[in-house]
Amino acid sequence: MLDLAGEIGQYCTKLLADLGADVIKVEPPDGDPVRNLPPFFHDEPGPEHSLYWWNLNTNKRSVTLSLGSEGGRDVFRKLAATADVIVESFEPGYLDELGLGYEKLCQIRPDIILTSVTGFGQTGPHSRYKAPDIVGVAMAGTMWLAGDPQDPPNLPPWKQGYISSSIVTAAGTLIALCYRDLHGEGQHVDVSMQEALSLTQETAMQTWDMLQVLRVRNGSRGIIPIDIPGIGVYETSDGHVYGYVGTPGGATWADLLAWMADEGKAEDLTEEPYADVCRNLTLRFLSGIATDPEAAKKVSFFPHVNEVLRRFVKSKSKWEMYEQAQSRRLLFGIVSTPEDIAKNPQLRYKKWLTPVEHPELGQTLQYPGGPYELSETPWAIRRRPPLAGEHTDEVLREIGISDGERRALSAKGVV
Amino acid sequence: MKAKRPLEGLKVADFSWFGAGPICANHLATYGATVVRIESETHIDALRTVAPFAKGKTGYNVSGYFNNFNAAKLSITLNLNTEQGRELAMKIVAWADVFLTNITPRVIERWGLTYNKLVEVNPKIIAAYQPMQGYEGPHRDFLGFGAVLTPITGYNYLSGFPNRPPFGLGTNYPDYVINPGHTLIAILAALHYRNKTGKGQRIECAQLPSSVAPLGPAIFDYTANGRVAMRSGNGLPYAVPHNAFKCRPLSNSGLPVDQRWIAIACFSEEEWRALAAAMGSPEWAADGRFSTLEARKASEAELEAKISEWTADKDAYELMRDLQSRGAAAGVVQSAREILDVDEHMKERGYYVYLDHPETGRAAYDGPPFKLSKTPGELCAPAPLLGEHTEYVCKKLLGLGDEKIAELLVAGALQ
Repeated sequence: MLDLAGEIGQYCTKLLADLGADVIKVEPPDGDPVRNLPPFFHDEPGPEHSLYWWNLNTNKRSVTLSLGSEGGRDVFRKLAATADVIVESFEPGYLDELGLGYEKLCQIRPDIILTSVTGFGQTGPHSRYKAPDIVGVAMAGTMWLAGDPQDPPNLPPWKQGYISSSIVTAAGTLIALCYRDLHGEGQHVDVSMQEALSLTQETAMQTWDMLQVLRVRNGSRGIIPIDIPGIGVYETSDGHVYGYVGTPGGATWADLLAWMADEGKAEDLTEEPYADVCRNLTLRFLSGIATDPEAAKKVSFFPHVNEVLRRFVKSKSKWEMYEQAQSRRLLFGIVSTPEDIAKNPQLRYKKWLTPVEHPELGQTLQYPGGPYELSETPWAIRRRPPLAGEHTDEVLREIGISDGERRALSAKGVV
Repeated sequence: MKAKRPLEGLKVADFSWFGAGPICANHLATYGATVVRIESETHIDALRTVAPFAKGKTGYNVSGYFNNFNAAKLSITLNLNTEQGRELAMKIVAWADVFLTNITPRVIERWGLTYNKLVEVNPKIIAAYQPMQGYEGPHRDFLGFGAVLTPITGYNYLSGFPNRPPFGLGTNYPDYVINPGHTLIAILAALHYRNKTGKGQRIECAQLPSSVAPLGPAIFDYTANGRVAMRSGNGLPYAVPHNAFKCRPLSNSGLPVDQRWIAIACFSEEEWRALAAAMGSPEWAADGRFSTLEARKASEAELEAKISEWTADKDAYELMRDLQSRGAAAGVVQSAREILDVDEHMKERGYYVYLDHPETGRAAYDGPPFKLSKTPGELCAPAPLLGEHTEYVCKKLLGLGDEKIAELLVAGALQ
């Protein structure tokens, strides 16, 4: 695989490299600009220090090559002749201008799969729009649903538009590859960030289509219209947990009340009218609120019930609350910080953090692990992310460019 | 002539429910696989009972939430709590190339649908499991649900403004692209491997690691630097401005439903100059406080206030077109209303697909997530009614006779 992709596509090529593809990253002579993005190892900026870039480029090899020169394009054509897949994210039409568009690549390698991933795809009036991550999540409806009504719509963290684009790009590439396995034909795969993100609107698209009702951002409530005790964010002594008590398969509010009472923290919730409210805080009851006047009366007791619950949760640490609630089959989840994730017992059991040696630093770093486990073809980091141009010589040799030719190309600044 | 779809001939046994599983199988169906969705009348997929429902309609077949994730599948209603129901399930497994489930491990074990059981009837099966936490490990039996998975996996802590509670992205975010997408990638990679070697395998795409992986840089920053990154609003350290700005609303209600916002991002000096030019090159923009990225970062709040003042009476779409034509990145923070009804680009690309459904009538569905030039995806049918294809699946796919089907119905194995 040849990886020409910018930030939008690098998680895609990482996913495939981590599953065993030989991904050759083609970087410009001064290196991939994404190498300059933070966070940096020990906060020392530099192209060989970016944790952000390292995380996206495990298992890849790096070739530095100027596509702007004819000599560089010649080398690229030789590379393309040996490739199954090329992933790119240039502005639509740019590869055509270089004489490296899909049709031209087919002349070099008839069954090539060319995958293009951009903000808005290869066609349509917005196809040449500038589309950093924030523009993608804005135009796709993801931001519209996120945040407190007093704030601007919220940006999802760590470039989720690029992540979704990359996931969809990897899936599209693999379907094209599976088709090629059986029929011998390659093709051009076209991915738009806006389309890749559409499903993150949850039910907003259908709610508008079916009912002409618009879902809006409403802070902590999400899809639920009123504050319901046991649902939402609760403060603990050291952070937060998120509750969703009463959902199918889990324990009920009655069980939660019994737990609070066991610990002597139920206050007056064991007395009427609150005990009755707690016993009846079921999904069936909640779905009847709108039509049942008796139910509506009970809603007026919700704030007090919620206050007592808040005091109960506040008396525990976030890990205590998470693990103790779960052991009672009460649906609470810890609001994890990055540290909590690194220390999560389940992820530790799975050996999710993955040690990778960086000989240049004299250190072994704990890398974020993979999304899945495959029994026959396991996910693995076999190779640390490459230094810029680390494999230029090696790869050029593999495609039959002699050391002499290579030195000449190097002198001209082509590689 | 209708183009061939790339996964035609692939057979999928979809034992999943809710979001993460069904969406994964939905993509397989879109690209040509025959997907049998195993449902139950005793344990209805809860999404069939969740809003939005087609206007004025009730019942299990009219949820836009469910229908959007299940287009073109065949629905069979099977009671897996009966011996004969489980026998029939194994017949479906024997028929299938791919098995998929996100049902909790305890239940899958009780039903005898673990990988070692599946390979007894189908040694080449690709079996994908999406447990919440994993089939092994200390949190194996913890309850899960998208709403709680989102905080557990770090999205809540890392999303939004630091002065707000960690309420997340307003949706069950990882359910829609990340978890179904990762699982799809693993299944397709396994299929590619099977095409080459004839071997199937077991996939575990536990939703905990799968959802955490896209937040890799934040976790890496902790393991390498010891920093616990916090949610930081809509900014980026290396782009100013980088936020959403309020534009002219649709009315003066002040309600989120009537608001219009535009995302604007400047990474380079060229982009900043383009934005300043669009603003009419005001004197303040030439001030030293805004002359470099570092300076703009230091004066970001002041800069944002000035930009907000400028965008407040502008039409968001006109502004987007103007800024994009000048080379500055901008995108309207669109709602579902705009994406379905206003966005000319989405219309031209034909992303959303309108399908006639016998109970909901015509309704919008998310279309193919990527475009393949030779073998495009297509939604060939709307979502199935509950149990609509029970007889078809038994007769045509499994080859059962009328008598056997009647026997299974009487025994309560089929519903």
